Amino acid sequence: MGLGFIFGVFGVLFLFHAAYSTIQYRGLLKIMEEEFSGPPMNVVLELLLGFVFCVSAALTVPGNFLSIHPDSEENRIVSLPANLDFMIFNHRAKALPLEIDMKLKH
Amino acid sequence: MVSKTEETQLNSLENQVDNGGGGAWEYLCLVRKLKARRSEKVLKYGLSILNDPKKRSALGPEEWTLYEQVAIAAMDCQCLDVAKDCIKALQKKFPESKRVGRLNGMLLEAKGSWGEAEKAYSSLLEDNPLDQVIHKRRVAMAKAQGNISGAIESLNKYLEIFMADHEAWRELAEIYVSLQMYKQAAFCYEELILSQPTVPLYHLAYADVLYTLGGLENLHTAKKYYASTIDLTGGKNTRALFGICLCTSAIAQVSKGRNKEDKESPELHSLAATALEKDYKQRASDKLGLLTSALRSLKT
Repeated sequence: MGLGFIFGVFGVLFLFHAAYSTIQYRGLLKIMEEEFSGPPMNVVLELLLGFVFCVSAALTVPGNFLSIHPDSEENRIVSLPANLDFMIFNHRAKALPLEIDMKLKH
Repeated sequence: MVSKTEETQLNSLENQVDNGGGGAWEYLCLVRKLKARRSEKVLKYGLSILNDPKKRSALGPEEWTLYEQVAIAAMDCQCLDVAKDCIKALQKKFPESKRVGRLNGMLLEAKGSWGEAEKAYSSLLEDNPLDQVIHKRRVAMAKAQGNISGAIESLNKYLEIFMADHEAWRELAEIYVSLQMYKQAAFCYEELILSQPTVPLYHLAYADVLYTLGGLENLHTAKKYYASTIDLTGGKNTRALFGICLCTSAIAQVSKGRNKEDKESPELHSLAATALEKDYKQRASDKLGLLTSALRSLKT
């Protein structure tokens, strides 16, 4: 988790730095009165690097992904709940004695 | 719906609490979440928490939910005085509560005084005529008294109003199966599969009912539903595998005279048989001989 977190921080820093460089580049072009066609190549590279870092941090920091297959070993349905709304009380266990005498004591 | 991980978790918690390892409160919460019916254990461990004033105060507001759970478990184990004490404690805390009124009705049911329980439920219904749980308790009462046709009638009337209640559909299907009214049970299972198509156990029950009805078309449909159960459970459901083998042999027997539709590929049958043998070899290898001889007699 620590490594993923550091990646994330670095990714965000790269993105901020790329944005700042682009703004500065635009300011420079305004002084030189040229058209702003797009940020320079190294800023684009820095953007892509920051993106990759952020995405990898987002995938690793939260932890393990849960399975979504209905037939995977964790998710497969083994039994239905016991339908407790229709539970009846005069079943055969009425004749079975309980082993200890239970009471609510207060 | 209880998944495999939840079931293993429940069993391991139960073992742990049985052997004195603590964790009774987590066990009770899990039983409540999975709606399992383990009344003896719930009663034993619930009472052990409630009788200990330190543990009781540690629960905070969850104490009352525990009282309700222990009251229902006590009624199921026929310890009616424990149930009465729990309900009295709940009534002191929540004097005008409908939930406590319902528990009182259930206590009258457990005692066997059907008339008084019916009166209690009708008075609760007057205040709130659309209370689902009270309607369901009346159906359960009719079933407990042996009046199955009355139960079917009231359950049908309930389902006309509350068509989306899948527990009620399931109950109706089981009642029809117990009366051998398989066509109606098939209709109920179809409703269940429509509303919850990813639960494999409904497909399995529907396939069982169709196989019991018999007839060539029903057998073909039953085979399809057994196959979909195997798909949804990843091949781990033994009953569906057996169902495929039996359906294939039944279809072969029924259509022995006609020779136009024996283009059924025998692959499904042999695949299911192989999967069964592998499963038996892993889990019950001493019964493998029985299985192979049974499957061989089916193949003809």
